Amino acid sequence: MRLLRSEFLRARSRRLVPMVLIGGLIGITIGMGIVAFTAEKPSATQIAEAQASFDQQVARCERNVERSQTSVIGSSPEAYCEREWSPPVDAVFLRDLDAVLQGTATFVILLAVFLGASLGGADWTSNTMQTLLTWEPRRFRVFLVRALVVAVCVFAITVFLQLVFSAVTDVVARTRGSAAFLPSDFWRSVLLTIGRVSVMSTALALIAFAISMIGRSTVAALGALFGYLIVVEAVIAGFRPSLQGNMLLRAAIVVITHQPIFDPTAFDSTGSALLLDVPKAWGIVGIYTLLIGLLGILIFRRRDVT
Amino acid sequence: MAMIEIEGLRKEYRRVRGRRTVAVDGLDLSVPEGGVFGFLGPNGAGKTTTIRCLLGLVRPSSGRLSLLGADVGDELPRVIARVGSIVEAPAMFPRFSGRRNLEILARIHGEGDAAIEASLERVGLRDRAKDPVKAYSLGMKQRLAIAATLLRDPSLLILDEPANGLDPAGIVEVRELLRSLGAEGRTIFVSSHILSEVQQTADHVAIVAKGRLIKAGPVNEVLATTGGSGVIVKLGDLEAGRRALADANIPATIEAGAIRADVPPDQSERISRTLAEARLFVTELRPDTVDLETVFLELTKDQGVGD
Repeated sequence: MRLLRSEFLRARSRRLVPMVLIGGLIGITIGMGIVAFTAEKPSATQIAEAQASFDQQVARCERNVERSQTSVIGSSPEAYCEREWSPPVDAVFLRDLDAVLQGTATFVILLAVFLGASLGGADWTSNTMQTLLTWEPRRFRVFLVRALVVAVCVFAITVFLQLVFSAVTDVVARTRGSAAFLPSDFWRSVLLTIGRVSVMSTALALIAFAISMIGRSTVAALGALFGYLIVVEAVIAGFRPSLQGNMLLRAAIVVITHQPIFDPTAFDSTGSALLLDVPKAWGIVGIYTLLIGLLGILIFRRRDVT
Repeated sequence: MAMIEIEGLRKEYRRVRGRRTVAVDGLDLSVPEGGVFGFLGPNGAGKTTTIRCLLGLVRPSSGRLSLLGADVGDELPRVIARVGSIVEAPAMFPRFSGRRNLEILARIHGEGDAAIEASLERVGLRDRAKDPVKAYSLGMKQRLAIAATLLRDPSLLILDEPANGLDPAGIVEVRELLRSLGAEGRTIFVSSHILSEVQQTADHVAIVAKGRLIKAGPVNEVLATTGGSGVIVKLGDLEAGRRALADANIPATIEAGAIRADVPPDQSERISRTLAEARLFVTELRPDTVDLETVFLELTKDQGVGD
């Protein structure tokens, strides 16, 4: 517990943590400020016309779902159909928040990866890892406690920023757009998306942290992780498409969108063959995190600190 | 009980293309309890590697090490709270204040604000404790690192080149601090390549070169290794002075414009009286003691040190 308190104090004292928070809040303010400034509130007539179209489309969709017996992942047919419909009005709709959160997940994950790599790599750059180990020589414990601190910090920060973003979007939509046509499970769906994005951010931050403990540098961790995700996985996906279902980037996309992805080059009796479903995507993210974490612990325990 | 016990320590570093560098080559060392122990050697002698092995930062290739009676490989966590250490340059977070750096470390062992205040007071940094470490001079950083080691009220302090890079005032500060810490009954193990500095503070020394122990023991014993000390006398007529001393059975030779009498410095009064009775009056009379630097160079001349 003492080491945990020390590590939290260390993390809290880093300028990076408030910088990420303040930077995120400034980004939200500027982005939503521009949205609010350029948006026009739809008229009552536009909303009424859209409502009529909405009711018809949802009813038709529900009939199709029942007829084809299509399985709808994670929601009822009604909620599914309500989400599938888009209002034929150019305005800021609160109902788009879920999709926007999925869109901004890339930015949230980038922040998380940077945080994870920095919370691991900074000690090597300033050589304070040596000082820390002369106070707590049990390296396994040091690694685990710091990983826990990275996980808690990243999860808390990403949840906080997404909640703020959601709250600001709610205000902007109600004042400069519309909060109509919300699917019945809208807020539940938004909270689940926030949770999935934060868990995914935490997993990738832990991977970045482990790599920074292996490479003993923040920059090396960022370079290795992004190099792998952008270059290695792209090359493998290009030459060996059947392996895409085992890749971290694809798994991350499936986890965040909560939608399976299909292989456009392979077909089965129902159409495109399933490449990666949601449970397997969670499993892949977990395995990557666990394996790289274990590798980080092994190397951290064995290598000399000079 | 020996505070530090090293038996047959060997450390090899693997380099590129399978080449190996031997940093420590079969070192044996025993550091007694209490006082200041100087661990001397030129740069690259293996001092820092030995200290890193002692603190569990580096895994020895072979050999056995113990700190405060605990085996470093298995039991280091049991005794680490009683050991304060600085390895090479003091490593602190540069953007954190001095106090915050100490707070982070103090929490690991549950030390409170009182210990932090006492440590800062001890090293004279209380007024600058809120400043970021990057604004500190090298001497202040060194003092902050020493303050960190004192947070745990250690019985053993391991300090690697604590005077490195300090200006003369900083060297004096560190020297006084080490003396006072040693006087409190703590054991101070201090490595240095500045031999004159260690000579002023250490009770025992060990001299290493190329990863091997050359000589170890109390400072006086080590100083006596290369022969006894004498007395240097300057006066107007050197030849007459040498004859007068010889007549009084004081062996003396003329060297470099002075007489060197081969008697211990505590016999200076006898020399002075003998010369005065011969109506020869000295202009300078001083002990010709051997310093650690001379001893070190003498002991390591066959090791190729300084080549």
